[in-house]
Amino acid sequence: MGCMPACKFKPLNNKRKNQGVNNLYRDLREFLAKLEEEGQLVRYTDEILPEPDVRHICRASGDMPNGPAVLMNNIKGYKGKRLVVNVHGSWANHALSFGMDKDTSPKEQFHELCNRWDNYPGEVKFVDNAPCQEVVIKDDINLFDLLPLYRINPYDGGYYFGKGNVISQDPDEPDNLDKENVGIYRMQVQGKDIIGMQALAFHDISIQLAKVEAENKPLPVAIALGVDPVLSFIASTPIYYDQSEYKFAAALNGIPQELTKAVTSNINVPAGAEFVLEGEIIPRQRFPEGPFGEFPGSYSGIRKQVRIKVKAITHRKDPIFENLYIGRPWTEADFLLGLNTCVPLYRQLKETMPEVEAVNALYQHGLTAIIATGNRFGGYAKSVAMRVASTPHGISYCKNIILVDDDVDPFDLMQVMWALSTRVRADKDVIVIPHTPGMPLDPASEPPGMGNKLIIDATSPAPPDSVMREVRMVDRMPQALEVEKIIAELQKSAGK
Amino acid sequence: MKCARCLEDTAAKVADAPDGSGAWEIYLCSRCNYSWRTTEEEEVINPEKRDPYFTLDGVDMDDLMVLVPVPPLKK
Ligand SMILES: [Zn+2]
Repeated sequence: MGCMPACKFKPLNNKRKNQGVNNLYRDLREFLAKLEEEGQLVRYTDEILPEPDVRHICRASGDMPNGPAVLMNNIKGYKGKRLVVNVHGSWANHALSFGMDKDTSPKEQFHELCNRWDNYPGEVKFVDNAPCQEVVIKDDINLFDLLPLYRINPYDGGYYFGKGNVISQDPDEPDNLDKENVGIYRMQVQGKDIIGMQALAFHDISIQLAKVEAENKPLPVAIALGVDPVLSFIASTPIYYDQSEYKFAAALNGIPQELTKAVTSNINVPAGAEFVLEGEIIPRQRFPEGPFGEFPGSYSGIRKQVRIKVKAITHRKDPIFENLYIGRPWTEADFLLGLNTCVPLYRQLKETMPEVEAVNALYQHGLTAIIATGNRFGGYAKSVAMRVASTPHGISYCKNIILVDDDVDPFDLMQVMWALSTRVRADKDVIVIPHTPGMPLDPASEPPGMGNKLIIDATSPAPPDSVMREVRMVDRMPQALEVEKIIAELQKSAGK
Repeated sequence: MKCARCLEDTAAKVADAPDGSGAWEIYLCSRCNYSWRTTEEEEVINPEKRDPYFTLDGVDMDDLMVLVPVPPLKK
């Protein structure tokens, strides 16, 4: 790789000592500085083509164990413009975004996030002279030359934003911050100042859009590109309609979410965003959008979707365009949509089923979910499965539901396979519920939107179920944990 | 200009490389909204080499499925 360019974002001088909830990032730049300090960001400075080189860089960085974020500044035709990808693209980066050590396991990250969920709501703070408005463009807008765009997958219908945070307000209560929505929806640049967007019927923004479309009015929106990593995480989390993403990000971050007013509307935008595209959804019209390589690893179809007319663009000086790779799993999208699917499902189950210990729904936004639960009485685990299948997210997504005992770590697939291998009685423990809702983007959903629920109960039977041949388990060995540390030390000096 | 995807004469240039290098141009179809850059791979921008599954030859845009329907107007 080529020489290092002059450092354009400076690592923070005020390094805070504590790892933890109070040590997080106000914006993308602060996080990129942290990633670089931890060896989790690299600068790619050789000249590359927008296609196919950027695609290959995205694929490679996401496929590598603990792959780094990649900052590019030498894209042919876009010289000087900066693009960053794979910011969430490894468990190490994901852990760092929450102030945890980079070797924190997904299971430990899950439990830490479950605890921090109780901090909701956090605070918001309005700031003047926000960095995201250092440069304001209202005339001659041309998205094709303002942003270093590239085709994410070869047969995408155009140049997409995979990580754009769309902000919109409830038309009946524009000043109700709790109902202001921040969501990540896929967006296709369809003109110099035109963006096509996929909003599905169950997305929060569709509730707001339906209200204004009935009156033939546009819906004001703002698209924030390049925000602090926790805001992107929460913008892709299924939380309730009247829960504020800004206050949630603040709760998980431990610092207030800094906001400022958009320059052309009442919308509140993240003050530290790299770019903010302000505009409105054109009412009562739909335009061809797609295809797009989607999270199941297949291309979506071409459908008629809504369009946003961009009226102003504001950005920081020397802005960084952030995008993500999505396609054949695993990708950055799988890391981003992993634990934020697990935690809400776990919280919703736990409300009425305290026996539930953990939920691993990392697989394709929860199409497959593994739940560790105590088996209070015979068949109870199957009731847990039906409960997850009737949560707001689980209704369409959770189709393969695996139950394991509460002493099995659902994030450790070797343990899950052990449970399947030794505890499943196929005649009693495997159930298919046909013709239920399905996720339309899942290629196995036929017709799109319909599906089945598969329940595999790999928990040990409890009375009054007939208990299998009586067996005694080989006990766990907690003493071995201490010995692991000793052996790890020995290994460090071995072979030197 | 002929669209690389729907093959209608509905495409036009929307951008040159912004650094003034002349490295490429971007074209956009006003009918099917396909956009492409002149430096992309042949199997993406050359209709003769594109996978026919991803072409829109002869497809009426009005026949595409609408994902979120337009609600009735309030009187
Ligand atoms: Zn076309």
